[in-house]
Amino acid sequence: MRIVYTDVLVVGGGLAGLRAAVGARRRGHDVIILSLVPPKRSHSAAAQGGMQASLGNTARGEGDNEDVHFEDTVRGSDWGCDQQVARLFTHTAPQAVRELAAWGVPWNRVAAGEREVVMDGRRVSLSERPEAHGLIAARDFGGTKKWRTCYVSDGTGHAMLYAVSDRTVAEGIPVHERMEAIALIHDGTRCHGAVVRNLVSGELSAYVARATCIATGGFGRIYRVSSNAVINEGMGAAIALETGAAMLGNMEAVQFHPTTIFPAGILVTEGCRGDGGLLRDAAGHRFMPDYEPEKKELASRDVVSRRMEEHIRAGKGVKTRFGDHLWLDITLLGAAHIDGRLREVKEICQHFLGIDPSRDLIPVRPAQHYSMGGIRTDARGQARGLRGLFACGEAACWDLHGFNRLGGNSVAETVVAGMIVGESMADFVESVNGDLQVSTSLVREFLDAEQARLDALLQGNGRENAGELMRRMQDIMTDKVGIFRSGELLSAAVEELQALLVRSRQIGISTRRPGANPELVTAYRVQKMLKLALCVAWGALQRTESRGAHYREDFPRRDDAQWLKRTLATWSDAFQTLPTLSYEDLDVASMELPPGWRGYGARDAIEHPLTAGRVSEIAAIRQAFGHADRFTVQQALMSYEHLVPECFRGRNARLGEAS
Amino acid sequence: MSDLRTLTLRVLRSSPGEGQSPHWEDFRVEEAEGMTLFIALNEVRETLAPSLQFDFVCRAGICGSCGMLIDGRPGLACRALTRDLGPVITLAPLPVFELIGDLSVNTGKWMRGTAERLQTWIHAQTEPDLTALEAPMEPALAEAIYELDRCIECGCCVAGCGTLRMREDFVGAVGLNKIARFRLDPRDTRTDEDFYELIGDDSGVFGCMSLLGCHDVCPKGLPLQTQIAFLRRKMASTGL
Amino acid sequence: MASSLEQATAARPVSGEPAMNAADAARGVPSRSRLRASRWPARLDLLQSLSGLLLALFLIAHMFFVSSILVSQQAFYTIARFFEGAAFLAEPRPWIVSCVVGVVMALFMLHAWLALRKFPASFRQYRIFIEHKEQLRHSDTGLWWVQLWTGFALFFLASVHLFGMLTQPELIGPYESADRIWTGNMWPIYLLLLFAVEIHGGIGLYRLALKWGWLQGADPLAGRRRLRIARTCFSLFFLGLGLVTLLAYVQLGIAHADRAGERYVPHKAASRLAGHERPGGLEFALSRRPGE
Repeated sequence: MRIVYTDVLVVGGGLAGLRAAVGARRRGHDVIILSLVPPKRSHSAAAQGGMQASLGNTARGEGDNEDVHFEDTVRGSDWGCDQQVARLFTHTAPQAVRELAAWGVPWNRVAAGEREVVMDGRRVSLSERPEAHGLIAARDFGGTKKWRTCYVSDGTGHAMLYAVSDRTVAEGIPVHERMEAIALIHDGTRCHGAVVRNLVSGELSAYVARATCIATGGFGRIYRVSSNAVINEGMGAAIALETGAAMLGNMEAVQFHPTTIFPAGILVTEGCRGDGGLLRDAAGHRFMPDYEPEKKELASRDVVSRRMEEHIRAGKGVKTRFGDHLWLDITLLGAAHIDGRLREVKEICQHFLGIDPSRDLIPVRPAQHYSMGGIRTDARGQARGLRGLFACGEAACWDLHGFNRLGGNSVAETVVAGMIVGESMADFVESVNGDLQVSTSLVREFLDAEQARLDALLQGNGRENAGELMRRMQDIMTDKVGIFRSGELLSAAVEELQALLVRSRQIGISTRRPGANPELVTAYRVQKMLKLALCVAWGALQRTESRGAHYREDFPRRDDAQWLKRTLATWSDAFQTLPTLSYEDLDVASMELPPGWRGYGARDAIEHPLTAGRVSEIAAIRQAFGHADRFTVQQALMSYEHLVPECFRGRNARLGEAS
Repeated sequence: MSDLRTLTLRVLRSSPGEGQSPHWEDFRVEEAEGMTLFIALNEVRETLAPSLQFDFVCRAGICGSCGMLIDGRPGLACRALTRDLGPVITLAPLPVFELIGDLSVNTGKWMRGTAERLQTWIHAQTEPDLTALEAPMEPALAEAIYELDRCIECGCCVAGCGTLRMREDFVGAVGLNKIARFRLDPRDTRTDEDFYELIGDDSGVFGCMSLLGCHDVCPKGLPLQTQIAFLRRKMASTGL
Repeated sequence: MASSLEQATAARPVSGEPAMNAADAARGVPSRSRLRASRWPARLDLLQSLSGLLLALFLIAHMFFVSSILVSQQAFYTIARFFEGAAFLAEPRPWIVSCVVGVVMALFMLHAWLALRKFPASFRQYRIFIEHKEQLRHSDTGLWWVQLWTGFALFFLASVHLFGMLTQPELIGPYESADRIWTGNMWPIYLLLLFAVEIHGGIGLYRLALKWGWLQGADPLAGRRRLRIARTCFSLFFLGLGLVTLLAYVQLGIAHADRAGERYVPHKAASRLAGHERPGGLEFALSRRPGE
């Protein structure tokens, strides 16, 4: 029995996991990172457009601060997020950007003076302040009031991931690559680490840790058409679900990105539209202003994606033998801009489409992009239901994003949550709770159980083909649990997925070797992915309202009265075919920003009975504080500062604002 | 649209863990419109050879996982369109790196080794004050740093380097480019003397024989030729 | 304890350097406690390039000198005597040529020794490079192989030539050289030497420019294209010039074969030409033979 002991085990080598690892390591704890792939290959690298943080350096970002970022985030989430977490996040994001700057991220910088930009289809001149020269610049993104998205051309995630990954090397943190956590070791209340499979040798070992952090990213690959990397199969969330103790939050909240190239589903950044790019239909008509006069192409992603699909349904798409698509037009930005700020987009267009985006239109259609749902944690990243388990980044439902995430808020979340969870895990490890009390017999039990599961696949006589089940699941998810959902489609999806789940227990594989074996990997992963897919579909079927990215054609209104709550899914019995759902109410009475209109999208929400009361309460507080500074007022509305780790508590300095 | 062909993927298969020696195996695939090697190889795995090993992650030319020898030349398989290749496509794993099996090699281990050897991180004197305004940087300088920061560590330059293939302790273009990147970065306080310690020998910049295979196969089009020449001048004058 | 491939990575010491804690390095400046790296690799690298450059420059000059035979026998004779110091000394001194040859030989040996470091050091390396070259089908990689073999050939060809010039500097003259080439059966060696040296020199200069980033211009790719053209022109021009020159010596050698061993004496040769006056002044001084 191979057992590795460590203080902190981080599962996942993307931005969130790496940053959390650095945090815990700097507090003096031993950390091991497990990663399916070399960490620099993680999907964080594919984040292109940028990271939101309210630095307010650019002309169009002047006056930005945590308050504005907070409000944008809450509106973006369609009031589904945890507002304290949103506060914690918007407070820490500027520190994250500045830390990354110190670690070497070559953020694009403000150049003082006049410059031409494209806004709303027209060239306009902007003047940048001389005192901002050389500070970190920002671009426009959807659903934001200010230009807040800090960027490195359109390789932001790449630059961030490399800086943070290099930092883990500097800190001497070992990364065990090509290692996959296939089960969490736990006793029902406390997580003790994970059973880990070496993807090269096939060997199982146990990693016993005082704190275990899941940072495995999203589960986009349960869909057929997704911008996600092929490794984004949600294994972290799945093994947490399989504990029966930890729970997954809001799994039905799945984001579809408006602009992925058609039909490959490869992302082209929202920065294209942020920088002035337009959406056009088959006739060349710019259609977004017809639907969304306020924010046009730059409404939030859920809204833009829905409008695009709506437009395609109205027959206005470009018809091809692979299906319909629309056009993304960035020709008006000019070759120089594209060569400097959108070069990954240019490369992608060249290599995959054979076109030059400075001259040609890009064929796009929405595709699955992001999982707002994940392992439900508290504001410090501690998983609900299982002590010693933490989660951060896309794998978590920290609940920064609610039912729709703003572009640029997820890469920001990865590092910010990593910063917070790193501290949180260090606190935990240093506390009495962090003491490890695990018997090797429990570890052996888990190892044996996992080995038995693998042996059953390797040596069993199952007839089902894992690849086929995978494809079927992906088709069901894309066809029936997509942008437009309905009771009918969702019921069918749930039923079919359940049947697939049952069939998945009879998978047989032809390659019987225990070592590197892609077929075996597909087999055990699809069993887990089907559970995630069922959490999504079943949760979506139950949620009879439309909120953010979850849109029910049979229930098109947001229903705060019934549904201002978070879905929690658990899976306690290995033989059940549906998750057990429960719900967690969001407390309107303690919200800093009570539900209302988002500023774009539908206006016809069904109001929560407590909303009006909270609105007037807030008005009264604001009046009572009169001319007090914004921090004092904020504190009175909704306190969050106790959640901020001590080392990140200072106030963020900005140009023209005393720190 | 061009006529779609029946393609032959000639793959160098091996399974070191099982002591299987390398051998070529042919797979026939019906070409599809816009087909990439990512699509073709997955089809082979799904229908013909479920045990076939290869590495794809982003399948968008961003993550650098899928470097392999495509008709003998290192490149990213995910963005290699079959229409640009002949009817018989040979695929082999990148040399130099530890072979895992079939087309899969351990670039991660090699790159981590390089990062540790060259200390490819910002060496600053002080911890940053996170709440204070960031230190300004010239916009053009930030862009110049990014230009070199675009390396995706795919290993193509390593496989394309005749020097490195002969002498495996040679640091390679990926390492030299990183040194050039950190040297350019004012946040890194290391001097040329410090960099000389890292690359001032024949396994470093002076080992480069300017074959420029690195430059010519780099999928990101990094200016490796000029950067290595630049470093050579700097290190030579430091060493004088 | 688990021991995966990856753990081996993590446990690997930092580039074999002693006591360089990565975490310490992360916080501060690199530790100075290590022994300072030797400066010699830099110097040797510079010397390799410098010796190559000087040899190439010598080669260019040398080719122009010997091709003076195309102008006239007298011109070549005059130049040959010039290098024996005829212009400055009372009489030409062939040992001066020996000295020059000695210096060139030293440069040649230095360059060869330095370049030898880059040769495949084992059959394994040799085989790997061939495999690599054939897989990659990449022009600059292929050129290096050419350079390697031409360089290898030069070890012998150039040595023979240099040794001859070192020991018999006085036998540089129209007849003497022509006799050596034809009657002395040296022309096959000179022919091979010509190809080896011009190709090696052309590629060497090209690589030198790339190696140090000379003439790269605003667009390095275009710069490299220009350099390639220049390299081709260089090799072709000097090969052409060399072939014509060699042919001239061969012709002269054939014509002079029956009188092989006869030294070239300018006024004799000149007097044979009708209407030619006896040289005087500087030309006369230059045309005097040692001990005449």
